Amino acid sequence: MTLSVDAIRDCLEGAVPSLVATCAPDGTPNVSYVSQVHYVDPGHVALTYQFFNKTRANVLANPRTTLFLVHPETLARYRVAATYLRTETAGPLFESMKAKLAGIASHTGMTGVFRLLGADIYRVLEIAAVPGAQLPAPAPRRSLLAAVRASAERLGACGDLASLFDATLDCLERHFDVRHAMLLMYDGALERLYAVASRGYASSGVGAEIPLGRGVIGVAARERAPIRIADATTEYGYGRAARAGAAALGAQLEDEIPFPGLPGSRSQLAVPVVACGRLAGAIYVESLEYQRFGYDDEDALVALAAQLGASIPLLQAAEAGEDAPAAAPERAPVEGAAVAVRHYAANDSVFVGDDYLIKGVAGSILWKLVRDYVERGRVEFSNRELRLDPSIRLPDVSDNLEARLVLLARRLEERCPVLRIEKTGRGRFRLCVRRPLRLVSG
Amino acid sequence: MAEALTAPALDEANAAFVMSGTMVSLASRNPANVPSVTRALGCRLSADRRRVTVLVAASQAGALLEDVAATGAIAAVFSQPSTHRTIQIKGSDARIEPATPGDSQGIEARAAALVADMTPLYTESFVRTVFAHDPADLVAVSFTPATAFEQTPGPQAGRRL
Repeated sequence: MTLSVDAIRDCLEGAVPSLVATCAPDGTPNVSYVSQVHYVDPGHVALTYQFFNKTRANVLANPRTTLFLVHPETLARYRVAATYLRTETAGPLFESMKAKLAGIASHTGMTGVFRLLGADIYRVLEIAAVPGAQLPAPAPRRSLLAAVRASAERLGACGDLASLFDATLDCLERHFDVRHAMLLMYDGALERLYAVASRGYASSGVGAEIPLGRGVIGVAARERAPIRIADATTEYGYGRAARAGAAALGAQLEDEIPFPGLPGSRSQLAVPVVACGRLAGAIYVESLEYQRFGYDDEDALVALAAQLGASIPLLQAAEAGEDAPAAAPERAPVEGAAVAVRHYAANDSVFVGDDYLIKGVAGSILWKLVRDYVERGRVEFSNRELRLDPSIRLPDVSDNLEARLVLLARRLEERCPVLRIEKTGRGRFRLCVRRPLRLVSG
Repeated sequence: MAEALTAPALDEANAAFVMSGTMVSLASRNPANVPSVTRALGCRLSADRRRVTVLVAASQAGALLEDVAATGAIAAVFSQPSTHRTIQIKGSDARIEPATPGDSQGIEARAAALVADMTPLYTESFVRTVFAHDPADLVAVSFTPATAFEQTPGPQAGRRL
C-alpha cells in the first residue's frame, strides 16, 4: 500500500533539498536538487517552475518523474513516483508557492535569482519508504488538535464581536503558543483589510490598513488561501505594503495608523477568514523563529479561521436585534477647556485636537455621534439607527458595522481620553464625553 | 562519446570539487524511460579522471541498480550545501561493481568535510546519520563521464562544462 502525501508533508518544508529525477526521450536521465516540493493534496505535489531547465524540458516530453525526499528532523527517506500533469500560473497554489519560494530565496541568499513562473502539478503514483539510519523524532511542541478543540469551545461561547476578536487572540497565545498575532477585517468597498485586534506588538496597530493583494496578509486575503513563509522577505514585508498603500491613497494628511510589526520576523503565516462564502478578514501570526509554522500549524489556523468565520455573521446578526434602551446613566461631569473635533469629508477622517484618530466608515460614525451629542445632547445610540443613517456611507452588502464599532471603540480607548464608547446592550451603545467638544468641518 | 574517450570530461577543478565535501546523488532509468533516483554516499575517481565510481547503499537504491544494469544510463549530481554550487555528470556506460575495502573510509572523509560545511545549519549528528551505512551494503556504480553540466541554481544552470 502506498503512503499518502499527507504522511510525508514534513519532508516538503524545503529544509532539506529534494531530488527530482527525470528522463529525456532519448533515454538520458537527469537529476536535480529542488528547494521546494509543495503539498497540493493527498494525491498531488507541485514543483516550482523558475527557469526552463532540463527537468522541465524532460517532463514536458516524458511526464514520469521520481523524487527522493528526506525528513528534515528524522532523516526518514522516501521515494516518490509521480507524473507531470499541468502548470498553473495564477491562483491560490501559485501565490502560496511564490511566497514560499521568496522565503526560501531570502534564506539561502538567492533573492532575485528565484522567480516563480509556474506551479508544475504532479500526480503521485506511489510513495515508498527507503530504509536507512534515522534520528529520533523530536517531541511535538503541543497537540494542535487539542489546541483547535479548546479554541473552538472558547470561540463558540462568545456573545459579541469584540469578545470574539479577543478570544481568538487569547487562544492563539494560550493554546498555540503564538506570541505575535493580529486579526484584520475586510472592507469590501475599499478593498482593504483593517486591524481590529493584535497581541505582542509595541503598539496595537488597531485601525492600520493593508490593501488587498499586498504583502503576506493581502495576498492570502485576495487568494483566499493561507500564505506561509519560513523566512520573511522584503518582497512580502507588510511594512512596505503598508507604505505603498499609503502612497496609493494619496493622503495629504497624517492620517495613517502605523502597521505594527515584529522587527526581525522570520516566520509568517496569514490565513483568510471567510464567512458565508465572503472574505471577512484574515488572521496573521509571526515569529522570530525560523520555520516556526509548519503544515500542521497552517491546518490548525485554517480550522480556527473557519470557526471565526462561522461566528462573525451570527454575532453580527445578533447585534441587529435590539435590547430596550438603557436607563439614563449618571453622567460623568463634562468639564475643562473645549476640545476641537475636526472632520474631513473627503475621506471621513476625524482628528481630536491635533491627533489623527480614525477615518472611513468608523470616522463617519464618530462624526455622527459627536454631532448628535453637541447639537441634541444625545448619548444613547443604536446600531440600527447607524445602519439607516444616510450620512454614514456603509457599503450595501455585508456592512460590517459591528466590526467598525469595535475598531472605533478601541481607537478611542487607545488614543482619546476625552471620548469613549460603551456597549449598553444588544445593538446599543453609549457615547461618553469627558470635555466640551467644539466641532470643526475641515 | 568519442570525445569522452579521448579526453577526461572532468578537468582538475571539477575533479577536486567532486571529491570534496559534496552531497552525491544518482539517477538512471529503465528501458521504458521511467527514471530512478537515490542518494549516494561517496565517490572515487580514477587517476586519469576518466572513470567516476559512485558508492551507494544497495538497500536504499530502489530500482536504480537494476536500471543501471539494464540500460547503463547514469546521471550523477554533486552539490556543496553551503554554496549551492552543483555540477551534474552524465554517462551511458554505467555498470555495477563491488565496493572496495577503502570505500567506507572515503565516505567518512566526505562526511567529515560535510559536517564542516553544513554546521551549524544542520547538526553534526544529522550529517553523520546521512552517511551512516553498513559496509556490507555498499555497492559501486562506475561510469565514464561523457558530459558535465553546471547546475548551480540560477539561469546559468544547465550550461555545459
